[in-house]
Amino acid sequence: MLKKMKNNYLVLVTNKTIIKKLSKEKNITLLFPVADFTVGFDNSFFINEIKEENAYIYVNRLLDNHGIEKFIEMIKLLPPNIKGIVFDDIGVLQTLKEIPNNLTKILYLSHFNCNYLSINTYLDYIDSVVISTDITDDELKTILKKANKPLVVYTFGYIPIMYSRRQLLTNYNNHFKKEVPLISNLVNDLKQEFKIVENPYGTVIYPAKPFNGLKYRNYENVLYYLINTLFLSDDEIIKIINSKSNLLDEYPYEYLSLKESIIRIKEREK
Amino acid sequence: MIELLAPAGNLERLKFAFIYGADAVYIGGYEYSLRANAINFSKDELKEAVNFAHNLDKKVYVTVNIVFHNNDLTNLKQYLEELASIHVDAVIVSDIAVIEIVKENNIPLEIHISTQASTLNYQAALFYKNLGAKRIVLAREASKEDIKIIKEKTNLDLECFIQGAMCTSFSGKCVLSNVVTNRDSNRGGCAQICRWVFNINNEDKVFSMTPKDLNMAIYLKDMIDIGVNSFKVEGRMRSIYYIATVIHEYHSLFSKIKSNTLKESDILYSNDIINRCANRESIPQFFAKLPTDKEQYYLGREEISNQDFLGLVLENKDGLLLIEQRNYFKKGDIVEFFGPNMETFEYKIEEIYDEFMQIIEVARHPQMRVYLKCNQAITKNAIMRLKVFDKRNYL
Repeated sequence: MLKKMKNNYLVLVTNKTIIKKLSKEKNITLLFPVADFTVGFDNSFFINEIKEENAYIYVNRLLDNHGIEKFIEMIKLLPPNIKGIVFDDIGVLQTLKEIPNNLTKILYLSHFNCNYLSINTYLDYIDSVVISTDITDDELKTILKKANKPLVVYTFGYIPIMYSRRQLLTNYNNHFKKEVPLISNLVNDLKQEFKIVENPYGTVIYPAKPFNGLKYRNYENVLYYLINTLFLSDDEIIKIINSKSNLLDEYPYEYLSLKESIIRIKEREK
Repeated sequence: MIELLAPAGNLERLKFAFIYGADAVYIGGYEYSLRANAINFSKDELKEAVNFAHNLDKKVYVTVNIVFHNNDLTNLKQYLEELASIHVDAVIVSDIAVIEIVKENNIPLEIHISTQASTLNYQAALFYKNLGAKRIVLAREASKEDIKIIKEKTNLDLECFIQGAMCTSFSGKCVLSNVVTNRDSNRGGCAQICRWVFNINNEDKVFSMTPKDLNMAIYLKDMIDIGVNSFKVEGRMRSIYYIATVIHEYHSLFSKIKSNTLKESDILYSNDIINRCANRESIPQFFAKLPTDKEQYYLGREEISNQDFLGLVLENKDGLLLIEQRNYFKKGDIVEFFGPNMETFEYKIEEIYDEFMQIIEVARHPQMRVYLKCNQAITKNAIMRLKVFDKRNYL
């Protein structure tokens, strides 16, 4: 039994066991990656497989024309239990403007939306925006303070850091006559580790450790705290959601939240 | 309209791009541009660039295409107003904040949507059109069918890359550089981590994701037919030699398409010239099919710098060419000259004269000035290069 929290979590789920454990919780909204419209997941769901009430769907593929036509077909036939959508493609935003719907519309333009002006501009068209993870803690606070509507904060989970349309693992297998699985592990010369996931629509790379932004849970003007459960066990997910502490000993990776990124090489030399 | 669009990392490269046949160039100022480590243009240089272009009835587009953070917004309005005041022909943007500032303040700037926005479908293009965008630089991942449909459904100006380096990722969707080096890829600091090699699952073969360069020479006619307006060459960090060579070859191919005289041999020859100049293999990528391992580099890639750029023609006085040396050449070398408004031709170096008209055997030193005698029509700013490919062998 999960302890009730004041926080509203938007939990991106990829396995069915955790769905059962989380679906009864009042402070949790489940976000389902949709088959054929997502990249970077080990599992996804067809719309008719999503039975939970108040479910949100996740569409993070960048869609070609065929893809956007398929999306238009899908959105016209959405069942009433689907209450919201989180998406990356601007074509989806345009489509949701044109087709009548009551969905809560949340733009997750990955690696964009790093400033309050962009976010407020998009908020003229949609209900909320997932703030980029490529910013510092101070930048995040300013954005939340200046945003015209409550926003979604990426609070915990593996962050997609590269999305290619190429099938990089299939290409590797074909080139070397290998059979590496479509979820694999990479290590570079600096001994930094990554996870790489491919499906027919492209390849996504993640750092091998989850981003920990649990400290954001006390911030205001937040519509949802987004938890991405990809690669996490059910026990870990439950622990993270229930935890009162920020679990930094176990999950120390805070990405860019503590230090601003470098724009020019000469800045490093200062 | 067919526009050949060249990159320019500084004023000299911009001038060479125009002289060698570009109809427009794209450049970056000191701020807000994704090639933060290029030389780029000061405000005075931006003004000079625009004046130079407009005097030739050509265009200058300025990249304002970083992903903005809060602090980056501080002087953005002023910068955009300055760009408008010097009459740049458009700004290339990816962040909606720039569009918002232009609209809110009625700044008279034409908006082009950067390839960083990864536009692949007509609905996305319509969104930007409704915001006032005049042109979309499509994602490099766009197929022929995608381009055709976007054109039909939006009638926007479409700009597509035809030559140059590819990101492995959708542009704008990669922060490998941020994670590995803390250099911000979406604010011009990309460290090109996708060109590193990786160990995968402890396999004996290394994992690579590096794409070969893009080259669309064989599809130029198809691109024209489906409505592409602007044909873009990548490479704001590239040298004048690269820009002159690539723009010269593509300008030649477009001229032959216009006169309906293009032959396969022309394309094969141009491709060899371009690939040697780039020191990389270049091929089509997403236009006709999804790229396979054949469109990537794995181990075995060779990138050997060559010294083909031998000299630059500073003046031609009645058949006496003043040459600024760029790489070693000597008496007896077989070279060729190419340049604006002239036919490329082969030349054997019979005599070299120093600045005092004394005969020398070798031009050894970069930037040294020497004279060659030649009675063919050679224009100022023509380039002397090592002759490697003979066009007669392609016929």
